[in-house]
Amino acid sequence: MLTYVVRRLLHGCVVVLGVLLFLFLLFFTLTDPDDIARRALGEKALPAVIAQWKANHGYDRPLWPWRGGRDSMLVEHYRRMLTFDFGRSDTDDAPIVDRLRHGVGPSLALTVPMFVIGLLLSIVLALFVAFFRETYIDRMGVLLAVLAMSLSVLLYIIGAQYVIGKLLRWFPISGFDADPRVAWRFLALPVLVGVAASLGGDVRFYRTVFVEETGRDYVRTARAKGCGEGRIMWVHVLRNAMIPILTHVVLAVPFLFTGSLLLESFFGIPGLGSLTVDAINGNDFSTLRTMVYLGSLLFVGGQILTDISYALVDPRVRLS
Amino acid sequence: MQLWSASNLVVAGLLLAGLTLLLIGRRHRLWREVFVQLRRRRPLALLVVAGYVTVALLDSVRWVGGVDAGGDVVAQHEARSVLDRLFAGRRERSYSAPLADREFYGHAPLRHPGGHLLGTDILGRDVLLLTLKGARVALLIGGLTSLIAIPLALLFGVSAGYWGRRIDDGVFFVMSTLASMPTLLLLIALVMVLGRSTVAVCLALAVTSWVGFCRLARGETFKLREMDYVQAARALGVSDLRILLRHIVPNLMHLVVITFVLMFSGLVLSEAILSWLGLGIEGSWGQMIDQARDELSRDPAIWWNLAAAGVALFTLLLAVNFVGDAVRDILDPRTRREPT
Amino acid sequence: MIPIRDPTRVAAFYAAFAEAPKSLDPAVAYNVSDHAIIGNIFDTLLEYHYLARPYTLIPGLAVAVPQAEPQAGGRVRYHFELRDDLLFQEDPCFARGHPNRSTRQLVAADVAFALARLGDPAVNSPVIEPFSHIVGLRQFGERLQRARRSDARFARLPPHEQYTRVGPIEGVRVVDTLGLDIILAEAYPQLLYWFAMPFSAPIPWEAVAHYDGRDGRPSLADHAVGSGPYRLTLYDKQARIVLERNEQWYGLRHPEWRAPGATYPAVGEARDRAAGLLDPRVVGRPLASIQRIDWRRDKEPIPLFNKFLQGYYDAAGVIRESFDKVIREERLSPEMTALGVRLDKSVIPAIYYIGFNMDDPLVGARGGERSRLLRQAMSLVVDAREYLRLFSNGRGISAQSPLPPGIYGYEASYRNPYRQVDVTRAAALLRQAGYPGGVDPGTGKPLRLTFDSSDTTAQGLLRYRFFVDAWRRLGLDVQIAATTYNQFQQKVREGAYQLFLWGWVADYPDPENFLFLLSSEMARSRSGGPNTANFADPNFDRLFLAMKARGNDAERLALIRQLRTVLERERPWIELFHPEDYTLFHGWLQQVKPTGMAYPTIKYRTIDVAQRAQQRRRWNRPVLWPVYVLLALTLAIAIPGVITFFREQQ
Repeated sequence: MLTYVVRRLLHGCVVVLGVLLFLFLLFFTLTDPDDIARRALGEKALPAVIAQWKANHGYDRPLWPWRGGRDSMLVEHYRRMLTFDFGRSDTDDAPIVDRLRHGVGPSLALTVPMFVIGLLLSIVLALFVAFFRETYIDRMGVLLAVLAMSLSVLLYIIGAQYVIGKLLRWFPISGFDADPRVAWRFLALPVLVGVAASLGGDVRFYRTVFVEETGRDYVRTARAKGCGEGRIMWVHVLRNAMIPILTHVVLAVPFLFTGSLLLESFFGIPGLGSLTVDAINGNDFSTLRTMVYLGSLLFVGGQILTDISYALVDPRVRLS
Repeated sequence: MQLWSASNLVVAGLLLAGLTLLLIGRRHRLWREVFVQLRRRRPLALLVVAGYVTVALLDSVRWVGGVDAGGDVVAQHEARSVLDRLFAGRRERSYSAPLADREFYGHAPLRHPGGHLLGTDILGRDVLLLTLKGARVALLIGGLTSLIAIPLALLFGVSAGYWGRRIDDGVFFVMSTLASMPTLLLLIALVMVLGRSTVAVCLALAVTSWVGFCRLARGETFKLREMDYVQAARALGVSDLRILLRHIVPNLMHLVVITFVLMFSGLVLSEAILSWLGLGIEGSWGQMIDQARDELSRDPAIWWNLAAAGVALFTLLLAVNFVGDAVRDILDPRTRREPT
Repeated sequence: MIPIRDPTRVAAFYAAFAEAPKSLDPAVAYNVSDHAIIGNIFDTLLEYHYLARPYTLIPGLAVAVPQAEPQAGGRVRYHFELRDDLLFQEDPCFARGHPNRSTRQLVAADVAFALARLGDPAVNSPVIEPFSHIVGLRQFGERLQRARRSDARFARLPPHEQYTRVGPIEGVRVVDTLGLDIILAEAYPQLLYWFAMPFSAPIPWEAVAHYDGRDGRPSLADHAVGSGPYRLTLYDKQARIVLERNEQWYGLRHPEWRAPGATYPAVGEARDRAAGLLDPRVVGRPLASIQRIDWRRDKEPIPLFNKFLQGYYDAAGVIRESFDKVIREERLSPEMTALGVRLDKSVIPAIYYIGFNMDDPLVGARGGERSRLLRQAMSLVVDAREYLRLFSNGRGISAQSPLPPGIYGYEASYRNPYRQVDVTRAAALLRQAGYPGGVDPGTGKPLRLTFDSSDTTAQGLLRYRFFVDAWRRLGLDVQIAATTYNQFQQKVREGAYQLFLWGWVADYPDPENFLFLLSSEMARSRSGGPNTANFADPNFDRLFLAMKARGNDAERLALIRQLRTVLERERPWIELFHPEDYTLFHGWLQQVKPTGMAYPTIKYRTIDVAQRAQQRRRWNRPVLWPVYVLLALTLAIAIPGVITFFREQQ
């Protein structure tokens, strides 16, 4: 068991190092620090100011270790990322760590309710549809799911803001507040949109899982024992479908932290997704690469945890 | 007279690839079965997809000359598609509502009163034409990306699965590295760095989307490699290349088709999000939707741009998703409906 | 939050901002949105008159606007006298060394300190160039740099101690507690305008020493201590910025001074009276009746505008040029008028233009007469008025020269012969240039040019498409090269561009601030300056230098006319338009006048809180019937299912 865990961890480390190399190639070799500086300082900046800025940000060093040794940008990039020293934003010199700390709260306030409500709702609906498999309810359910999947998130957002926010005035169109007594009013609409946008795909996915389970032997056995269809669904099928559901959940959890680009931007939620969009629009590469790095770090971590918990449950995994 | 531009060649290539696949498919019983089943189960969706493909083709065949585009002198020297020719010289000066006979702002009479089924956009271009032209872009996004991603994934997945060891380690490393990065962010970063030409966007989409299929192909090859007939062929000394081409790749074809169809809608939706960030492909529905964001905040709102692009996008994806579902149901024995 | 009911009844002003400010440090912040915030926090020595046009300087913290006094050797002296009994805003930083102190008097040394910061290379101020007209500013920076390099202990001292040790700037002399002399090496009349911008605003050395970004304290980029009418109380730049009225402000403590910067003006433009800006009830009243300014971030235009319509924002300021609003035929739509919304507009001292890269062999100076004719022809078909109609609801006026209205040298009657749309004449010029019908005889195809765009949004590209369509009418095949900002910058650096669309907003209302954009000294290819067209004309340079050093007199006007004639013929630019700033505001917000330039005006405005609360309530009653319909529908679908479920159970 221990060797498995160690092997898994090692593999995770290698992947993280690979991600960092990829980011370095993308953001250092293919872009010119002069441009980042000019973007940050504005069109009116003079060359001397730009040189000073590059020196302040450490962008004036040689790229590769065979040129600059320990002072090269590659070594510096690895050193800083691995010690979580993300430095300062390219656009406004703010420490990125502060930004992340401020952004996690609002992001989670949006993504966690969205995720929990979405998960519960889609499982219940999928069970409902799977229960009535091969009837008009099933066909209607699948049809609606596919309909919902075919609509762009942009249209969901624009539509919801227009109808619910503007015409019906149920909730504020956008905004945020740190005070939870007020915040729910602002979060209701983006959560609703987020749930609606992912519901179609999720219901379809879970329905497939459940329908697959209903074809298995234990279901037949239970039926033969005289179990009611409803009991079979709610107790036996749901329990046995837990593994694929949990995998789905565990892989989604890391991304709760990184927030939602579109929802946060449109609904004015100052989370990490909104931060990322600002970084994209402002060519703030240092923030962008931190976000990609953190995203993959969380993902790799989540994956290792899942694999290890599988191995704990199922000895076959360990040996393969 | 220049008949074949680069885009014509790309389209011809795509078309040729599609036709070859169709012809090969017709020879096999399984694929014939798929066609028959599809026609029976999803006639409407198939028809819709065929309609989009036709429109895209009409917009892809282009040649120079024989067009009078009003004041546009350059157009006479440029290759124009059949679709462009159908709408030639139908420019207005600015916005007009669907079927209106006056301009939306200023109420100046139009050159073609009542002639614009879906109205005109800010530069007076016919929205119906723009919407139809979007079909070509959407299919190009799906087609070109798949054309890059699927062979790539097949190459890496099959060689990793077949030879294993070092190759597998290498491929697996690349796959896990790419898969561990947040897809949308990776996509955006790639487009920001690679530029925003059609090819660059498709390349970025391919880089972010080949991993899933590669993993599938790798796993499937693992299984196939252990099959009796493959083992037998190896024992007989048949070359690896021949085994791959005769026994392994053909048995992955159903996965290719399922992946292609299911990937398609994801790609087109991703492009819409790229467009929102100003990184999309010119002329796509995503761009039309993005343009319309400000138009909706005018009062009275300019809704026809958004509506046209939204409905066109929705209909295509709906049809493709239905076809995809059906193809998977037919090909994938696990989800085959149990006889009741 | 945006309170649904405004419980506090504080006279708060609600508005939105689109982009997080980059810096609050007055020496560094250099864009419109940053100045819109810090302008309220930092008072400057001089200010602009709220209503008068052309822009006029009035005294702010200073007692009077100083006059230039010629000195020996071509030097020029300005004497500033500060008001007595000015205080900084209350801030914990003043407790350094004085435990019970929360503020202190603002003195001339504080102005000298702010100027020293501009010269400090570590501060990285973007305006070091214009302030270098002050004698010894550059040398001060060099002394500082040297001392820091040679002595590590010195480098760790707080900035004000470093400044004291290396000695003052030669041209900044603190005469006494309130008096300050500024000595310039040569005549530079534009200097006074810089004293109306936040760069030179007095800042306490205590704040610079205290807010250094260490030990959990914010840096000056995120915290501001000034002497203006508002002080920063909440700064979450990604989401919300709140300013509260500064009760230490001289306008509130000394209304009896009737200081120009703290009293509502009695004179204005002719149309101000009709707009209610010269209402006798407000004229002469002490300023800053708004008690709180509450900005919230809204990145997307639709939610922002809808929230304005719901009354949650008091004004929809036009920050983005593309922000289309409910304006029809340059007037407010009837629906808007019914809501009590009002509209005001003023021309921004700015110019948008299409530039040619004069270093390019095809369109630039090396192409000689042929390229000149091409540029003239291209200039003749661009219809700026139509562009404004389509993309800005007609806001803005079509430009004939780089100088916008309100700037000395602008002449409303001037018509540039190459800026009147004339396709026939353009085609003739093109023929003369050797491109009959736009066809390049070398290739037999339409002449192909590249129009570079760094705006890759779909909305942005439509604008470029408009110009391209115009040139296509001539037979010129102009391709839009939409690149990311970085790639565009790279192209600019390498000189690999032909056409570009650019805008310039004035720093201060003087023709020099526009025409320097075409002086060869500022050429992008040579010095990295803002002359992106790389225009280099010895005649133009000579005239420009003569014009720069003069005050506004008849000779200056003559020089400007000559400069204009050079541009007319050479066409390095196709002048497009001077944008107009439309501000849309609700009826409860009064005394609003868009200024065009980024200087703070909120202190002049007043707000009717009761009316706002009432309107908000009336406009935002939720429509609830669809909830019941939805509930009924859900039940209708679910009940048959549940019945079936139980039937199968049994």
